[in-house]
Amino acid sequence: MSQIHFTINGIPCTCEAGTTVLQAAKQNGIEIPNLCNDESVRVYGACGLCAVEVTDDGTGKALPKLLRACSAKPQEGYVIRFDTKRAAQSRKIALELLMSDHTGDCRGPCQLSCPAGTDCQGYVKKIAQGDFRGAVEIIKQKIPLPAAIGRVCPHPCEQNCRRGLVEQPISIAALKAHAADRDLAGDTFRPVPLPDTGKRVAVVGGGPGGLTAAYYLRLKGHAVTVLDAAKKMGGMLRYGIPAYRLPKELLDREISEIAALGVSMQNGVRLGKDITLQQLRDEYDAVILATGAWRSMAMHVPGETLDGVTGGIQFLHGISSGEGEIPDLTGKCVAVCGGGNTAMDACRTAIRCGAARVSVIYRRTRGEMPAEVTEIEESIEEGVSYEFLANPAEIIGENGHVKQVKLQVMELGAPDASGRRAPVPIAGRFKYLDADLVIMAIGQTPDTAGLDGIALTKKGTVAADAGTFRTNLPGVYAVGDLTNRGASIAIEAIGEAGRCAAVVDAALRGEEKPYFAPYFSQKQVTAADLADREQQPRCPMPTRPAAERRHDFAPVNRGLDNETAMREARRCLECGCHDYHECKLIRYAQQQELHPERFAGAKNAHGKEQRLVCIERDNGKCILCGLCVRVCEEAAGKGILGLVGRGFPTVVKPEFDRPEVIAGCRDCLKCVQACPTGALRQITE
Amino acid sequence: MSGYIAVGQGSCGIAAGAANVYAALSEKLADRADIALKTVGCIGMCWLEPIVDLYDNDCLTARLVHVSPADADRIVTAAESGDLSGIADLVITAEDSAFLAKQTRIALRNCGIIDPTSLESARAAGGYSALAKILTGEGMTPEQVIECIKVSGLAGRGGAGFPTWFKWNAARQAPGDEKYLICNADEGDPGAFMDRAVIESDPHTLIEGMLIAAYAIGAREAIVYVRAEYPLAIKRLTRAIGQAREAGLIGDNIMGSGFSCDFRIKAGAGAFVCGEETALIESLQGSRGMPRLKPPFPAQAGYWYKPSNINNVETFANVAWIISNGGAAFAAMGTPDSKGTKVFALTGKVRRSGLVEIPMGMTLRDVIFGIGGGIRGGGSFKAVQMGGPSGGCISASLLDTVIDYKALGATGAIMGSGGMVVMDDSTCMVSMAKFFLDFTAKESCGKCVHCRIGTKRMQEILTRIVAGEGVPEDIGLLEELCLAVRDGALCGLGQTAPNPVLTTLRYFRGEFEAHTDPEHRRCPAHACQALLTYSVDAEKCRGCTLCAKKCPVGAISGTVKQPHAIDKDRCIRCGQCYAACRFGAVIKD
Amino acid sequence: MQKGCDLTRLDPVLAEYAGVPGSLITVLQHTQELYGYLPHEAICYIAQKTGTTPAKVMGVATFYTQFRFQPVGKYHIMLCDGTACHVNGSAGIAQAVCQHLGIEPGGTTEDGLFTLSIVACLGCCSLSPVMTVNEDAYGSLTPARAVEILDGLRAKEVQA
Repeated sequence: MSQIHFTINGIPCTCEAGTTVLQAAKQNGIEIPNLCNDESVRVYGACGLCAVEVTDDGTGKALPKLLRACSAKPQEGYVIRFDTKRAAQSRKIALELLMSDHTGDCRGPCQLSCPAGTDCQGYVKKIAQGDFRGAVEIIKQKIPLPAAIGRVCPHPCEQNCRRGLVEQPISIAALKAHAADRDLAGDTFRPVPLPDTGKRVAVVGGGPGGLTAAYYLRLKGHAVTVLDAAKKMGGMLRYGIPAYRLPKELLDREISEIAALGVSMQNGVRLGKDITLQQLRDEYDAVILATGAWRSMAMHVPGETLDGVTGGIQFLHGISSGEGEIPDLTGKCVAVCGGGNTAMDACRTAIRCGAARVSVIYRRTRGEMPAEVTEIEESIEEGVSYEFLANPAEIIGENGHVKQVKLQVMELGAPDASGRRAPVPIAGRFKYLDADLVIMAIGQTPDTAGLDGIALTKKGTVAADAGTFRTNLPGVYAVGDLTNRGASIAIEAIGEAGRCAAVVDAALRGEEKPYFAPYFSQKQVTAADLADREQQPRCPMPTRPAAERRHDFAPVNRGLDNETAMREARRCLECGCHDYHECKLIRYAQQQELHPERFAGAKNAHGKEQRLVCIERDNGKCILCGLCVRVCEEAAGKGILGLVGRGFPTVVKPEFDRPEVIAGCRDCLKCVQACPTGALRQITE
Repeated sequence: MSGYIAVGQGSCGIAAGAANVYAALSEKLADRADIALKTVGCIGMCWLEPIVDLYDNDCLTARLVHVSPADADRIVTAAESGDLSGIADLVITAEDSAFLAKQTRIALRNCGIIDPTSLESARAAGGYSALAKILTGEGMTPEQVIECIKVSGLAGRGGAGFPTWFKWNAARQAPGDEKYLICNADEGDPGAFMDRAVIESDPHTLIEGMLIAAYAIGAREAIVYVRAEYPLAIKRLTRAIGQAREAGLIGDNIMGSGFSCDFRIKAGAGAFVCGEETALIESLQGSRGMPRLKPPFPAQAGYWYKPSNINNVETFANVAWIISNGGAAFAAMGTPDSKGTKVFALTGKVRRSGLVEIPMGMTLRDVIFGIGGGIRGGGSFKAVQMGGPSGGCISASLLDTVIDYKALGATGAIMGSGGMVVMDDSTCMVSMAKFFLDFTAKESCGKCVHCRIGTKRMQEILTRIVAGEGVPEDIGLLEELCLAVRDGALCGLGQTAPNPVLTTLRYFRGEFEAHTDPEHRRCPAHACQALLTYSVDAEKCRGCTLCAKKCPVGAISGTVKQPHAIDKDRCIRCGQCYAACRFGAVIKD
Repeated sequence: MQKGCDLTRLDPVLAEYAGVPGSLITVLQHTQELYGYLPHEAICYIAQKTGTTPAKVMGVATFYTQFRFQPVGKYHIMLCDGTACHVNGSAGIAQAVCQHLGIEPGGTTEDGLFTLSIVACLGCCSLSPVMTVNEDAYGSLTPARAVEILDGLRAKEVQA
């Protein structure tokens, strides 16, 4: 057989005459995207994903039409590309069109609402199976600090858990903490970094964001140094979060795991003081800024500078980390301003410091509080009182020390941009609250001292590009609370840092790979859709009694036992597609930025499920590639499945109502194996 | 006097009442031997149907138009006396006669003249003489036949315009003894009906052309794939095949030449995509008509994966003429790019609507205004749609475009199978684009993603624009989708489906912008109901109350002899007030 | 409706095309001529007799618009919506016919007399708008004339 010489995407290839471009690419180790091709059946040409452009047919001329690689055959000297703008656009539109007619959940709502994109369903399933290490392996693909995050995360995953439509969401966070604890207690999972690349990265800031960036870049084989101004690593996890929520020994363990990968950690180094940004830029191939937001926002009311007025983070710093004295607040009245989680940490810490009365001042009502419900409930159990619909108007002092807080009485008006009803002052109505200590916990902003030459946003945060995390300075990236919209929850910083690490890794290898949000197909599900599910209440997290815990900083939660954790994990509805990891459609769909929503329109089949002996069909996920029909006829010699109808409403259907026909199916599962998506699955029970 | 009366009985003639005219004449002539009554096919002057021709010794003496059965008596009287004064009102006007005079008829040469039910009639008009030329006497080799077609420059008349000789030659050269010759008579393009007319009016010309092609490529079996919606064509072709078989023109050892070819008809079952040759083959094989990937081309692997050649009816209808008159005679007509003649189905808002065969190189203006007589009913010319769902809408500024493959292609439209639908200013071009997408979306076979979902999405976008729910961004989205579908679809149907949208976007973009104008959405042609507003001109309104009475939703109020008013919120834009007002006081915008 | 259709009527058709490969569409056309539509049982019977599967036969039958799976009315109205008919007002005819018969396109009147189908092109473009009722074609329609034609047919039925 004569050999043909040609190139695909610039890579020299050879094949025997008569081979298709698709086969030839495969033989040469190149995957051209395709959904409807299978070597056991005749070429079909439906999906159009394998479109290639012949930019030179060997004579210097380009071929005018796009070719389908599954049928076109290379000729001597062909220059074939599937990465041209035209081929990529054709593929992208095909994928957008397919997705616009796709009904299914690629991944569960838990994962999609996790800012770090953690595969919650995946690790919950491992836990259900009692495979805790397996669970941690999955978690650590996105979160290097699972024991800590499992304890502190406000878990957006649980808010969107569909089990909540049945009774209550899965305890995803607690399960994560449990798996991580088990892992730390035994043979800890520790991934192996890739061989050294010789590239050096400096990460400024050792909080959740900085540590995450360090972890993933180290795993890619880069030499990473984390610099932090504080005595120890951990950032807000150490200095903000009280020990009764996150024991510091646990944090130390998790950080030591990161260090064990070969991440160099330097504490007590403050940027701008001990080292300059320029020095870092000179010394390292990339610099990632992740210094967080540590400055408590001022309330701009008279009396703020009085003795006895402090910021939430400043109050918590020494107590949470254990590095400072625990103040004795016995007999004192404490006012905490704010309704977020820092306010909760502050008020519950104040209780633990012996305060006689701790009042949280919040300008709206309990329903609008951004803090976690459990935190509010537990604080009340511990004796915290609340002043709702009140806003500090003035801090009144005596001899330079705070004595009273003057509160403006508020009422709720029309909903604001956040959807919450906006608090409106009632003219002339005030009340007074005695206080010895006033803690302002209304938010934090970054301290950008030392970031010479870095461009800032109007808010005073570092301006970082949404896709590349680049600042205005070449080679300098920034993530987390320090950047753009400012302070948020730890898992946001972790998510950003993980994505930033991928971008930086690519840049260090000379590639430009900006992050874009990967596309996931999502289904609308209501409580009515789940009405047939059996009620299985959530396993409650056992806690120590309030009377006991309000006196110490030992953990509030007792944690789950293995059996409870596994029982809780088994409640999972497994919303995400069973075929996600094998699905070719989603794999190709995520290779570029996709916006199928712009083509939103009628959908062909709304996930109607049909059964054929031991095979279940979900037409909502069917892409009409015809592979099941074709393998059933051509490879299995059966012809039980058929295409019914024409055009857009075409569906794949077997003859169901006829037992004699179903009997023909011998469950060879060829159709299930051939299906490029999750439209077909074997029923095992 | 000896002569005959011929009644044009193509489908459209019959639809216009020709069968009743024939029956009435037949009754009058029942016991007369001197005047024969004949059926002929379609002359192509459809707007004049029913048409009756009077012949004296094979010489046309009068063409009578818009004939009704009641005219039978005086027609017979005139026929026997030769005195036409009694039927002067029926005789075609000189102006209308010019419709034919400006044409050059090759494919349609016998249509409306010979009796399609009679082999003798066909033979008298020279039928099968070309076949005799290649099979008897000195004869012609298949290669000589292909060469002759090559010289003629004949290109496929079904749409793509691919050189006919090339396809024949490829099929001839393809290895294998078992080869097939297929005629595509699945005339699915809405707005084209020349293939139907040829089969109904002159089936033997088709058979002869196919036999010649079969001889040229080495096929022993010929198949005609006809639309099931053409029952009369199927009937007449079936009969003609029977006649030809009986006369030894079909079957074994034709004309003693040793060349054998059998014939059969296969009725389609309703799928536009089967006009695409590989889909047609799938359908012939009894499968879903879903196109195959090319290559391999049908010339290599077609019907039952054997070498096959497919041409459409009009292409075959030219073949015998070319063999008889020589390729050069055919090539002498037309432009350097496109040779010979082309048949067009001229319809829509044109005064004279029917079948037109003209040499390539005439301009669109020549056809629409010169032959078709321009716009009917007082409107002005706005656009002509060419090539059906695969073609495009061309604006007035391009009326001087020369009809050939290249020049038409440059406009964004295509020659196509020859549908030419004329539109006046009352036609909304956005709505036209939607009409074609409704069609292609419905006719998409559903195999490839670009076409199955792409045409559906295009149709959805157009639907919301026409319904007054469009936004300016829809135009760009539509355009992006059009280009992607054109580039990515598997077969000709999908690749050309965006053409009607792309051409309307090119020539009538302003209408799209008007429909999606966020300030004030409107339809410049006042055709899209959802975008209309009706109001009363108080100056003109006489307060006759008629509009208020007609309004089905009680949206019009006013007292007698006082100007009325329309409640725009209640108005459902049905237009009944507009139609009812005798004073032109209802304003539509 | 589907129960009790006499499948033996299909045997001559199946016998005629038994040796002709690729005849499925033709067989289905004959079947529809016999029954007026394609009964489910007939589809299975054809599959069984021709050695294919019902899924395959259904696949072919549902691909082509000619095939029906419900009986049609005594008068099958095919209203053309080809380009020429469309430009010349076929939508108005469709509206009038639907309103007059009280059915949607594709539907059949309760008395089983009329079925309305909107079809692509009947090839009588010069007489547009056009409709056919069974074998007969009617051109140059107006909404009023279309209704008149249908009333005429109905009157004929009442007399009969």
